[in-house]
Amino acid sequence: MEKMRKLKVMVHEDYIDAVVRSLGQTALVQFIDIREKPEDWEGILVPYSASTEVIKKCSDFLSKIENAFKSLHIQPDDFPSPEIPITKEPIEKVLATVEHKLAELPIEEVKIYALASRIDHIIESIGIKPDVVEKEYALTQAEEKELEHIEFELIELDKTIQTIGLANHDLLINKIASKHLEDYDEIGRMFAELAKFVIKSRRYFGKRLVTLKKTVEEIEGTIETEINLKEVRGSLLTFREIVKKEKQIAEEKEKFVKSSQTVFFEAWVPDIVVKHAIEGIMQASEGNSIITEEAPAENDRVPVMVKECPGYLQAFGKLECAYGHPSEGDIDPLRVFAITFPILFGIMFADVAQGAIFIIAGILFTLLRRKGKLDDGGDIIRYLLVSGEMLVYIGFSAIFFGFIFGEFFGPSGVIHPITLGNIGPFQIGGFEPTQEPMKMLKFAIFVGAIHISIGLVLKFINEIKHKHYKLVPIPICWIWLFIGSIFMWAYWGGISNISKWFGEGVFMFGGLVMLPLILIFIFTGIAEGFMEGLGFTVEVFAETLSHSMSYSRLMALGLIHSAMNYLFLVLGGVEHGVFPLQSIPLIAIGTILVMIIEGLVVFVHTLRLHWVEWFSKFHSGEGIPFKPFKST
Amino acid sequence: MDPNLISLIGLALAIGVPILSAAITIIICGTALAGIGTEKPELLSRLIITVVLGEALAIYGLLIAFMLLGKLPNITTMESANMALIAGVIISVATGAAAAGISYSGSSLIAATAEKPETFSSNVIGVVLSEALAIYGLLIAFMVIGQI
Repeated sequence: MEKMRKLKVMVHEDYIDAVVRSLGQTALVQFIDIREKPEDWEGILVPYSASTEVIKKCSDFLSKIENAFKSLHIQPDDFPSPEIPITKEPIEKVLATVEHKLAELPIEEVKIYALASRIDHIIESIGIKPDVVEKEYALTQAEEKELEHIEFELIELDKTIQTIGLANHDLLINKIASKHLEDYDEIGRMFAELAKFVIKSRRYFGKRLVTLKKTVEEIEGTIETEINLKEVRGSLLTFREIVKKEKQIAEEKEKFVKSSQTVFFEAWVPDIVVKHAIEGIMQASEGNSIITEEAPAENDRVPVMVKECPGYLQAFGKLECAYGHPSEGDIDPLRVFAITFPILFGIMFADVAQGAIFIIAGILFTLLRRKGKLDDGGDIIRYLLVSGEMLVYIGFSAIFFGFIFGEFFGPSGVIHPITLGNIGPFQIGGFEPTQEPMKMLKFAIFVGAIHISIGLVLKFINEIKHKHYKLVPIPICWIWLFIGSIFMWAYWGGISNISKWFGEGVFMFGGLVMLPLILIFIFTGIAEGFMEGLGFTVEVFAETLSHSMSYSRLMALGLIHSAMNYLFLVLGGVEHGVFPLQSIPLIAIGTILVMIIEGLVVFVHTLRLHWVEWFSKFHSGEGIPFKPFKST
Repeated sequence: MDPNLISLIGLALAIGVPILSAAITIIICGTALAGIGTEKPELLSRLIITVVLGEALAIYGLLIAFMLLGKLPNITTMESANMALIAGVIISVATGAAAAGISYSGSSLIAATAEKPETFSSNVIGVVLSEALAIYGLLIAFMVIGQI
């Protein structure tokens, strides 16, 4: 993982805006909010409060610009952002220029041009020929009155058409008028009535619109200066971009402190670009700055560079990040997580047939995602598409454990359990969980012991990486305690014979349980004090018990999965691996139910085993992702 | 008392109480979740853990009920009938306790995460430890049934 350095910068106040602007362009640093640690500066420096006023001013300008866009019926996001030249001027000066230019813009005059263009657009879209209209119709007073009402309705209709996103007005009107009303609710019906009226009154609209157009042309004629709508729009877009950027800069400056003439700020910067960042600051401030760079202090919360997950591990990456990013210097468990997650899931969801369905679904989702269908459909579809590869992995795992537990759409008898071997009293496969639940329980605890030991190995690596050499022996002792306790449990025939641990097995108990606990107490005591050591030792003892017991859920959920499938096998009349024809719909319904309900429960429990029992050993999840300041 | 009736009471407890516990948990956490979903829908995928862990309580009851159902033909004596009853009581009490824990800490977790999402990883401990209570009960109930 890339190392971070801390920059401490003191800049002359006149150049601070240029410096922040330049850092925003290069996106190299993440500013530290110094105000969170007042003990570092209080009494010597004061918060940079000028910034708050600037932010208010920026917000005012932005709302003015947005109003202008609204009155001209322009959607600013439909146009590309204009390029803004880099300036070295202070924010106040930039904003004053924008204010001046904004006041000069002939917004009111431009409105009439915008209106003319909209009238043309409506005339065109409802297919009225102005000449014909004028010759044929003269409106009475009553018709005029009615027209006013219709005009209002037309405006409302037009707004709705825009909201729905139908650019072609005719399409909507024809669609509703031709009574394809099934898709429309109350509003739809209302507009259907209106649409009929609109078509009936099209001639009146024509007359009214043509009159309106003439009036607009007359007003246009009175405007002396020549106005280009495009130019005004371009200026507004540029001002909007400038003010947005300046606002971002002002918001960042809120993290700074100042003296009478200088501004002080701190920032994180990746080791490899420190030189580049310093050069940028010096250049922007024309040498009027003092910069020091240093390694992070012991109690600093250093941001971490978050690496992008490879596509095939994307789902696991999201699950890991949902818990929290690795802290600075910690090992990233993503790849190990991507191996252990499918294994634990597969144990609880062991089934050859259902595993194969997972693989097919996974491949399908992956292909759809790669074809760019990620944004189609709702949240659930998006989650499934992102999880494509993960479904394939858990499918393979379910098939593997399906073979060793003899499950094919449940304990149907199609596959006989395959024994992989025995490790002491732990039998790896070769039994049906529902028939021999005790063997399954032992297997579950055994898997738990291995899983937690892997977590402790990662803790060991973390301690070495952090150079906490005094704490390095603790994970080793913990593994010793863990494996030792499991061995005791298995050797003396389960928890019911616990009395033997303190009788004939007292030396074994001392060596495998007490000794590692004492060593943990000593090592923690040396590193952090003996009271902390005592507390931590009790915590280790309790966690060893509760976390290993927690893995018994592998057995419980495995049994439930098997039992639920078994229920549908019985209902379908499946016997000795023979599936009668009438059982197929029942098995299909059962599989769908099991895969959705059981799949979700097993998924959450697998996640829980990782988040609580596994991550708690080595992964604090307290890492802050490095987000450099970037003015957009 | 008839051993059959006693074991059937055990079975009814084993399925009834965990389902009730799961329902209470889902009602409390589900409504809290729905409230947060309107404000911060991006947190739903993380917070759904509260509802799913609540639902798992019913599954534990289902497992014990299944096992008792399988043992019913073997229950002929008062001793084995009492064991079936006790197994039902154990899983009922354990899931009831877990439901109380998940409901309280789950709804608080949802509210706290909505305010400060970074507190999720610490606050989720309360929910998962409450759920572990049901697992302990499940294990013992399971062992009691093994004795029948």
